[in-house]
Amino acid sequence: MIVTLQIHRYVDEKKWIQEYKIEITKGLTILSALHEIKAKQDPSLSFTSSCRSSICGACAVRVNDHSELACEVLLDTLVKRYKTDVLVVEPLGNFRVIRDLIVDWDPKYEKMKKIEPSLHPKAEFTVQTGCKQSIEDFDKYKKYAGCILCGSCVSECNKSALNEKDFLDPFIFVKAAKLVEDSRDKDHKQHLKDVIEAGLWKCFNCQECTASCPKDLDPAGAIEKLKEATFKLEMASSVGSNHAKAIYDDIYNTGLLDESKLSVQSEGFISAAFRVPIAYRLMKTGKLDLFEKAPVNKDISKIRSIIDIAAKEDK
Amino acid sequence: MSTEISRRTFIKGGAAAGVAIAAGTYFKWEGNNIPKNVRDGNVTYDVLIIGSGGAGMKAALEAAKNDKLKVAVMTKMIPTRSASTMAQGGMNGVTGVTDPDDTTESHAFDTVKGGDYLCDQDAVEYFTETAGKIIYEMDYMGYPYNRQKDGSFHQRKMGGSSHARAAYYEDRSGHAMVHALFEQCLAKNVEFISECQMLEIIRKDEKLSGVVAVDMRSGNFISIPTKSIIIATGGYGRAYWIRTTNPYSSTGDGIAMGMQLGIPFKDPEMVQFHPTGLASNGVLLSESSRSEGAYLLDKDGNRFMARYAPKAMELATRDIVARSIETEINEGRGIGEGLHAAVYMDFRHIPKERIMERLGQVYDLSLRFEGVDISKQPVPIRCSCHYSMGGLEVDDYKTTATRVPGVYAAGECSCVSIHGANRLGANSLSEVLVFGTVAGKSAAEYAAKVKYEGNLEVLKAARDQWLAKFDEVTARTAGTPVVEIRDKMAETMWYKAGVYRDEQHLNEASKEIDALMELYKNCYVGDASHTYNTAFMNYIEIGNLLQISKAIVLGATARKESRGGHSRKDFPLRDDKNFMKHTLVFKEGNTYKTEYKDVVVTKYQPKERKY
Amino acid sequence: MKYAFFPGCVLKGAAAEAHTSMMKVSEALGIELVEIPDWTCCGASHAQGVSELSMLAINARNISIAEHMGLPIMTVCNTCTLQLKQAKAKLDEDENLRAQVNEILEKSGHPYPYQGTAEVTHFLWVLDAHPEVFAGKIKNKLTNVKVAGFYGCHLIRPQKVLNYEDGRNPESLEKLIKLLGATPVDFDYRLKCCGFHAFFTAEHDVLTVTGKIADNAAQAGAQMIVTPCPLCQMQLDMYSPEGREATKSSVEVPILHLQQLVGFALGFSKEEMGIGRHVTAADKVTI
Repeated sequence: MIVTLQIHRYVDEKKWIQEYKIEITKGLTILSALHEIKAKQDPSLSFTSSCRSSICGACAVRVNDHSELACEVLLDTLVKRYKTDVLVVEPLGNFRVIRDLIVDWDPKYEKMKKIEPSLHPKAEFTVQTGCKQSIEDFDKYKKYAGCILCGSCVSECNKSALNEKDFLDPFIFVKAAKLVEDSRDKDHKQHLKDVIEAGLWKCFNCQECTASCPKDLDPAGAIEKLKEATFKLEMASSVGSNHAKAIYDDIYNTGLLDESKLSVQSEGFISAAFRVPIAYRLMKTGKLDLFEKAPVNKDISKIRSIIDIAAKEDK
Repeated sequence: MSTEISRRTFIKGGAAAGVAIAAGTYFKWEGNNIPKNVRDGNVTYDVLIIGSGGAGMKAALEAAKNDKLKVAVMTKMIPTRSASTMAQGGMNGVTGVTDPDDTTESHAFDTVKGGDYLCDQDAVEYFTETAGKIIYEMDYMGYPYNRQKDGSFHQRKMGGSSHARAAYYEDRSGHAMVHALFEQCLAKNVEFISECQMLEIIRKDEKLSGVVAVDMRSGNFISIPTKSIIIATGGYGRAYWIRTTNPYSSTGDGIAMGMQLGIPFKDPEMVQFHPTGLASNGVLLSESSRSEGAYLLDKDGNRFMARYAPKAMELATRDIVARSIETEINEGRGIGEGLHAAVYMDFRHIPKERIMERLGQVYDLSLRFEGVDISKQPVPIRCSCHYSMGGLEVDDYKTTATRVPGVYAAGECSCVSIHGANRLGANSLSEVLVFGTVAGKSAAEYAAKVKYEGNLEVLKAARDQWLAKFDEVTARTAGTPVVEIRDKMAETMWYKAGVYRDEQHLNEASKEIDALMELYKNCYVGDASHTYNTAFMNYIEIGNLLQISKAIVLGATARKESRGGHSRKDFPLRDDKNFMKHTLVFKEGNTYKTEYKDVVVTKYQPKERKY
Repeated sequence: MKYAFFPGCVLKGAAAEAHTSMMKVSEALGIELVEIPDWTCCGASHAQGVSELSMLAINARNISIAEHMGLPIMTVCNTCTLQLKQAKAKLDEDENLRAQVNEILEKSGHPYPYQGTAEVTHFLWVLDAHPEVFAGKIKNKLTNVKVAGFYGCHLIRPQKVLNYEDGRNPESLEKLIKLLGATPVDFDYRLKCCGFHAFFTAEHDVLTVTGKIADNAAQAGAQMIVTPCPLCQMQLDMYSPEGREATKSSVEVPILHLQQLVGFALGFSKEEMGIGRHVTAADKVTI
């Protein structure tokens, strides 16, 4: 079967879309297709790649609006998924493009530095004697050490697409979660403080990062772990954490969300006051009833019990 | 193709003008990734490291401990893309935490025996004395070691090792090392000069001036003065192109440039052929396949290793298994043809749960690239060039200095020689860390002591020459395409300087490489843009590989014996009387010459190597 | 067809029209819904950020009640779907975790353990898997109505947990729109995020995308947007004025709950489907 790749080109300030046709053969990944096109059809097509076995992270691109690790995905899979014989190939989203499918990683390294991305070993460890860590503690963070810096998560982050200046890329949250969960590290609070300041609570929870990660690291889950850590380490005190706590408390108090109080609980009285116009709008249509009391779940004592017991075990 | 629902074309309206969904993507590159004074050659580095893999980054961290020195790592890619990420098994080092009976003597002996007695034993002893300490240091730096009950990192036994001494992270030990080192580099603000392809090291009148490189992003040619250079550019498996497990970047750039300086290429013929690479593209199927019990079968389903290593069978050393596979194919008991011919690796007798738990990556790779579910079918494999034991000659293992003052070499691009004629699994990561540290420390000490004595004019003139060359080469509209030269080189090398070698074929190979070098002089590149010209980068890389290939052939010709990874059909036995020697290939101008140098033997006299 | 119904908090509050229309539509289609007694909020992905274990136990309780009813669970909110299915996946895969959670349930006095015997599905998937429920029931084919389907993140990502259709190229919503007689409109933002969960922390960005989604659908020719998630519906409907301001757009597009669109095709009126409770463009709903 012949597939047409419509590749977004960008060379010396010229942008255009170039079509290449290629025949699908056994084992033809996006990357091997790009190499074949470069070798046989157009030596000017530029992209980065190294290991071609999904460990170096160099070759991620965007196909039909979704990031893929090019060396891992067969063209055949994409043809079947999109039910098409035309695929659009672009550089990763949320990166500055240097040329064709090549993007600039330097700004991402600067962002990484914001969370102090290296281990701060506890005082009892030394260079000569290394560290000690139980198998259970290793299991807590080992998954996050699998990040290959491919940028797939960055490409589809819906928050970054709107504004990346007050946010971190998903893989940086993964790196932070790795350090916060690493028992060898003495500065969990410091790493968390950095992460909160860099926008932890602004995540949209859209799950694109988790859906895109070729290594199944679940960056959205890492972000959730970091949020939990802010509560465990008693560092929670912002709109985001207040909002989360409000819902948690509502479940404890009545079993259901109390929408009328949500704004005040999350933002405080002053900020909530600015919501008056929208509150008025909602009251007009009947969507908001400030006087409606949230009914209390019949089983509330058991529900509270569950939360109390679980919270104790979750330390 | 019929579709049920009308599909969006995915080319958004106004795509030519730019896309709305992703923020601010396209922009005009003005070369501000590199500081202006670097662009103009006005800053002099104390230590310039070429290569950002394990050895390069470790060297940088070590050199940067002296904060008065200007240290930078130059890489043709960006950090964390190196071949170091592909190492899987672990890093050997004697610590006794898992096996309290382990000793550095045992590690040294295993290494020397594994290297078929071509290793320089004084260097190996130094290596084994330090390798254990590095594991503790990496732990302290945040390496995510798998643990054992008492909280120490756990060590396991790798092929050819008599004790459990390889500390590891899952089956991605190299990946973990690269990222732990990179985290440290970020924390210490190590300077990276990324996406710069090094072109030449400039030395005039015995004085090191610096390097000329092309900053890929802007297309600027730059010259960088430096007092010392650490070459850490990795191996050269891509001389065999698709028949290698190595990444696209393993083109031996630093070795070629070192040869230009007069540093000999030591033991170039010593390449390790890993037995189990995928037939279609050379991707590595981990050695743990065989340690978990996979069989190797010929086309009729027989376990052919019975003929070559009746006791160890599939668990014999890599070189023995690789040769066995090649023999089977040569004698017609394989499947397929050409560079993709193969034998089978069979996992069907292993319970599927164990395959998924321990061999998950092998399962995925086989399914993706060969369409084979290894729990149901055997997968076609063939040996692939995996590791380069040869490299730039290191003159003094205690400093990694080469014979050119101010130039050091560490990691896979160097030949100390730790691995001799065959590398043991899990010795490579240890080597890059041990000697990366040594190189960083020594280069820093050297640079702190000496003044810059290079010649800025010569440096700038060399840069201008390269710019002119770029313009000339990329302007050509005719000539043999670079990829054609590359593919012909790979065929010559695989069939005539591959797993099995002999005088006649090696002589043919030498002539064929010479002919390719002629074609290279007028080859067609196909891209004249200055911005990130990957076609030009490939042109440079193939040029380097041709020189590497020539050296491999010459080294193989000069070594009239079989030892470790080097097999001569016409000299099938190891000849300790005449060849306890290293081969050294020198390049002077456009001529190559070969010399020998004795192997350093301290404790271990060469014995017959049986496993 | 009978399901244990998990309405989710907003159906009892701001999105009450989604509840009333759901009751009418499910009855008309012959789908019996038994509301799970004493169900609690699923945590909405926010409470999970306070204590994951607590919410695992809370959702194990929710699911176990349905298990006790002997019925599969049907949800009508994307986030509820993801939270319940995520809890289920974690508990089903990890027997130690399951034992720990069941011990918590037992200690609290909850009468039965979580067993993993109830499936969790969403109304959209039920209709997609059982188009036969519509046989002979479509009294008002929505011919010439152009509808853009906005999926909402938590029904399509991550695919591994939701495990219904391809998260990068889902088709259930478009197929349903066609079945109802309308024309599905493809638009760039169909799989994007409405930002509901980050409204308090990234307000400006959320309002920008709120405006962009509606604008983009309208530019592609949609007369209405339909979504299977009441949170997306609330975000796109309630904050449409701010969204339009943020994107300097003037297009007002009505945002329908899935069950409302279905209801129209079944012959229900705008009043019956609660369109009066919408903030935006209720008058533009042309059926």
